[in-house]
Amino acid sequence: MTATLAKPPVDVTADPEQPPRKRDIGGFLNWVATHAIGLALGLMFATPVVFVFLTAVMSDDQAFTADLWPREWHWENFVEVFDKAPLFQYLINSLTYSLLATAGMLISSIPAAYALAKLQWRGRNLAFLLVIGAMMLPPQVVAVPLYDTWSSLGLTGTLWPLIVPYFLFDAFSIFLLRQFMLTIPQSYVDAARVDGCSEFQALVRIIVPMAKPGIAATALFCFLFTWNDYFGPLLYTGEVKDQWTLSLALATFKGMHIVQWNSSMAVTFLTMIPAVVLFVFAQKSFVKGITFTGVKG
Amino acid sequence: MRKHTRAALLCVAAGMATALTLTACAAGKGGGASSDAAAAPGKDDKLTLTVWSNYSDREYEEVTKALKTFNKKFPNIEIKHEGSQDDDKITAGIRSGNTPDVALSFTTDNIGQFCSSGAFQPLKPYLDRDKVDLNQISPAVREYTEYKGNRCAMPMLTDVYAMYYNTGMFGEAGISAPPKTLDELFEAAKKLTKKAPNGDILVAGYLPTMGFYANRPTILAPSFGAEWEKDGKSSLASSPGFTEMMTFQKKLVDFYGFDALERFRAGLGQEYSADHAFHQGKIAIMMDGEYRTAFLKAQAPQIKFGTAPFPTWKPADYGTAFTTGTIMGIPKGAKNPGAAWELIKHLSFDTDTIVDLSNAIKNVPSTKAAMESPKLEVDEQFKTFIDLAKSDKLKGNPVTPIGDAHIKAVTDFAVSYTSGKVPDLAAGLKEVDKNIDDQIAKSGK
Amino acid sequence: MTATLGARPAPGRGRARARHRLTVLGFMAPAIIGFVLFFGYPLIATVVFSFTKYDLINAPEFNGLDNYTYMFKDPLLIKAITNTLWFVVVLTIARTVFALGVASVIARLKSGVGLIRTLCYLPSLAPPVAATLVFFMVLRPNGGPVDNLLGVFGIDSPLWFSDPAWAKPGITAIMLWISGDLMIIILAAILDVPQEQYEAAELDGAGPIRRWWHVTLPTISPVLLFGIVNSVILALQLFTQAVVAGSAGSGAADATGSTKYLGFPDNSTLTFPVYLYTQGFRYFDMGYAAAMATVLFIISFAVTIVLVQRMRKNSTAEEGGPGA
Repeated sequence: MTATLAKPPVDVTADPEQPPRKRDIGGFLNWVATHAIGLALGLMFATPVVFVFLTAVMSDDQAFTADLWPREWHWENFVEVFDKAPLFQYLINSLTYSLLATAGMLISSIPAAYALAKLQWRGRNLAFLLVIGAMMLPPQVVAVPLYDTWSSLGLTGTLWPLIVPYFLFDAFSIFLLRQFMLTIPQSYVDAARVDGCSEFQALVRIIVPMAKPGIAATALFCFLFTWNDYFGPLLYTGEVKDQWTLSLALATFKGMHIVQWNSSMAVTFLTMIPAVVLFVFAQKSFVKGITFTGVKG
Repeated sequence: MRKHTRAALLCVAAGMATALTLTACAAGKGGGASSDAAAAPGKDDKLTLTVWSNYSDREYEEVTKALKTFNKKFPNIEIKHEGSQDDDKITAGIRSGNTPDVALSFTTDNIGQFCSSGAFQPLKPYLDRDKVDLNQISPAVREYTEYKGNRCAMPMLTDVYAMYYNTGMFGEAGISAPPKTLDELFEAAKKLTKKAPNGDILVAGYLPTMGFYANRPTILAPSFGAEWEKDGKSSLASSPGFTEMMTFQKKLVDFYGFDALERFRAGLGQEYSADHAFHQGKIAIMMDGEYRTAFLKAQAPQIKFGTAPFPTWKPADYGTAFTTGTIMGIPKGAKNPGAAWELIKHLSFDTDTIVDLSNAIKNVPSTKAAMESPKLEVDEQFKTFIDLAKSDKLKGNPVTPIGDAHIKAVTDFAVSYTSGKVPDLAAGLKEVDKNIDDQIAKSGK
Repeated sequence: MTATLGARPAPGRGRARARHRLTVLGFMAPAIIGFVLFFGYPLIATVVFSFTKYDLINAPEFNGLDNYTYMFKDPLLIKAITNTLWFVVVLTIARTVFALGVASVIARLKSGVGLIRTLCYLPSLAPPVAATLVFFMVLRPNGGPVDNLLGVFGIDSPLWFSDPAWAKPGITAIMLWISGDLMIIILAAILDVPQEQYEAAELDGAGPIRRWWHVTLPTISPVLLFGIVNSVILALQLFTQAVVAGSAGSGAADATGSTKYLGFPDNSTLTFPVYLYTQGFRYFDMGYAAAMATVLFIISFAVTIVLVQRMRKNSTAEEGGPGA
C-alpha cells in the first residue's frame, strides 16, 4: 500500500465543472437526478443545525411551541447563556484539556511515529500491532484500574488524568502520523543520513517539514477528540463542577440550569463552532487525514 | 505581621492534629463499628466547612441561610455550600477523595449503601459523647437514617408525601370531595381527563407513569400496603400490595393508552422547574411532597389546589404516608469531622433553625419540639402534611445495601408491565424479587 | 559519523548497532512508558480486580469467580448485551450502507461537490453530546420539526427517545448523521478506482449501475471491510449518545440519583459500556465492572484481530513485503 501512497491520493477537493453534452438527453436527466439527490443529501445533513439555530434565537415562550421560525430574533440568547451557567470556566477547562493534550501528543507521538515509519528495528511490527490494539480498545476496559490509580494519587477531580497520558502515548495519533510519514520517500531520509544528519536531525529537518500537513491533521483530530470527549471528563470530574468541560456541562445543561429549549440550543450551537471554524481553515488537512485513517494499512 | 505568622502556624498545627485524628479514625473503621469521635472545634477556631447538597435556586438560598446560623455558635467557621450535588456526585466524591465535610443527600435511597460501605462515618461515638436523645425524632425518620443499627446520618427536615389536587378542575368536573379509595381516584381521574379530538391528552386526571415526578414505587407503597421485604427476602410477589399497585397503574395506563400517555409526558416540564405539569394545569391529581406547596405558591400562584392523604387500597390504611427526607452525614475523608458533627447536630436539633428553614422551604420539621413550635407556619394545605407526620401510620424507606438498585428494578418492571409487555404479573414480580435478592447477596452486606 | 549511515546497520558493526538501538529506544521511550502505564498495567489489573470485591473505600477482597457467576444471574447485563448486539448488527450495516450510498452519490456529482461534501462531513466533527441534543430537539414528538413534517402527511411521530422501541433507532439516526468520516474514506476510495476499469466495463456495455456493482464495489471492498470493522468497534463502545439520550429523554432532570435513568426508556439505551460505567462508577462495584471490562476486552480484541489480519493481507499483497 505504501507504493500507492507515494502518489498523492486523488484530489477529492477538486471541483471539476463539466456541463452535460446537449445531444445526450439521458445523460442530462441522469445529471439532474444525481444532483437533486446530492442536494437533498446536503440539505438533510444541514437542516438539523439550522433548526438548532432557529430555536436558539427564539423567545422563551416560543421555544416551547411547535413553531419552526422565530417570531422575534433574540440574538441576546447567545450572550445570556453565559450568565445562566459558568460557560467561561467550562470553556477555559475545555481549552486547557484540548491544548495541553494536543501539545503533549505532538511531543510524544512524532518521534514514535518516526521510529515506526522510518527506522528499521526488531519488534517494530509487534509495536505497531500494539498501537493498533490500543487504538481499538474501548476506554471503559481500562477505566477501573486507572481510576483507582489516579484516585490514590489524589488527582481525580482534576483534568490531569486526561491530559498526562497524551504526553506519553496516544495510539491514534501515532498511527496517523506513521501513515503520513510512510508517504515520504525513504530516499529523503537516506539522503539526510548521507549528509551526516543524526536520526533526530533527520526527523526535525526533513520529516517534520515534509509531514507538516499530516502533523496538522493529527493535531486537529487530537484537539477535536478531546474537545468532544465526554466519557473522560465525566469519569474524572463528574462531581467537581468547576473542572467541567463544555462537552460535559452541555450534557447536564438541559436539566441543571435551564428548561427552555432556546438556551440549551444556544449552548449546543456554541459548542459546535470550534469544529466548524477549524474545518473551514484546514479543510484539506481534515479530508486527507480522515482518508489516511481508513484506506492505508 | 508577627501575629499573622503565628495564626498561620496555629492553623497548620490544627490541620495536622485533625489529620492525625482522621487517620486514626480511618484506621479503626474497618468494620464500621468502633471509632473515636473527632474533637469539637474551639469556639473561635478558624476553618472552612464544605457542605454539599442537591438544592438549587430558591431552596439553595434558604438552606445556605440556615447553614449560616451555625456562625452564632462558631463565628469563625466559614461555610462553603455547594448546591446541585446529587447522590451520584456524593458517592463519586467520597471514592475519589474530593469530599465535603458534610454531605446532604436528598434521597434516603442510598443510606444502606452509605452506612454499610463506610462512605459515611458512623455517628455513634458522637451521639454517645454528646449524650444525644434520639427520641426527639420520630421512629420512621430514625429508621431511614440508619442501617442495621449503624447510624451514619441525621435527618435535616423530612418530606411527607400526599395527594395534591387542582380545586378549580375538581369544581368543573363536579367532584366535591378528594378521593379516598383507589376506585374513587380512578373515577376522578377519568372525569378530570381532557382529550383532543385526535386522541391527544390535553389534561391528565392523574398521571400514572412510574418513575415520573414523585410516582416512585417507594412513595406509593404505603398507600397500597405494599411490603418490600419479609424475613430478609424481597417480597414483591408475595405482598398483595405490589400486585395491586401494578394492576391499578396498568388500569390507568390502559385508560389513557400507553402511547398517548408517553406522547403527553414527553411534553411536560421538569420536576423542580416552573413548568411542572401541575403548575401548568396539565394534571389534576398527583402524589407529591409537602415542599410542592412552596413551589406552587412561588411559581404558580394562579393554581388553586388542595391537599389530602393519598387514597389507599384498604380503607383502614387511609391516613398513611411515605416519609423520607434530607439526610446529613460526614463522608469518609472529611477534613474537619469534629466541626462537621457540630454543624450536623445544630441542623438536626436547633429548634429555631429547623422552624425557620421549615417555614422557608416548606419541609416538615424533623424533631417533635419543632413540630409543636408556635412559630411554625402551617396553612391549610401544609397542615395535611404535619398531621400525617404526627400520625403513627408513617412509613419510611426500605433500607438496603444496594443503594437504589432495588427501586430501579421495580420502576423498570412497572414501566414494562404497564406498557403491556409482561404477560404474567406474578411471575414477573418473582423475577424482580430474585434479582433484588441476588444483588443484595452480591453486595455481601 | 559513519555510524549514522544507513538505516539498516551492516552486520558486525557493533557500536553502530548499539547506537541505532539507543536511537530507536530514545524515540520510542515515551510511547513505551505510556503504553505500559496506561494499557499494559491496567489490562492486567482489570483482570485481577475482576476476581475481587472492591468499592474503592475498603481494600479489595478476593472473591473468586463470584463476579463472573453473577453475570449469568443479572437481567440488566443480559439487557445490556442485547442492546449492544443490536447496535453491532444494525448500526454496522446501516452506517456502512449509508456512508457507501452517500459517497457514491457525491462521487457522481459534477458540480457543487465541495459544498455538499462539506455539509455531509461537518456534523461528524460536532461534539457527540451536541449531536445528541440536536436530534433530541429535532425529533421531539410534540412539535419538533420532524413531528411537524410527519403531521403534514397525517402521521403521528414516533416517540423516539421516550419509547423503548424507537430509542435505539433514534440513536442510530444520530450515528448516521455523524458518519461523515467514513463517508469521506469511502469517497476517496471510490475516486481512487482507476478510470480505465470503468472504460473497459463501458466497452462491454455495462450501464452505470452495473459498473458500480461490478467495478466500484469489488475495488473498494477493503475499505468497506474497514468501514464494517470500524463500525463494529464504534457500536461496542457506544456510550455518550446512549447516556445523553437516556437522561434527556427521561425528562427527569431533577438530577437526584440520575443513575436511575441511565438506559431510559425501559433500559433500551443501556449499552454494555453504559452498564459497565453504572456498576463501576455509580454503584462503585469495581470488581463487577472489571469483570465486565474483561469480557469487553476479549470481544474487542477478537474484532481487532480481524482488522489486523486484513491489514496484513493488504500490506503483503500490495507492498510486496518490504520492511519485513
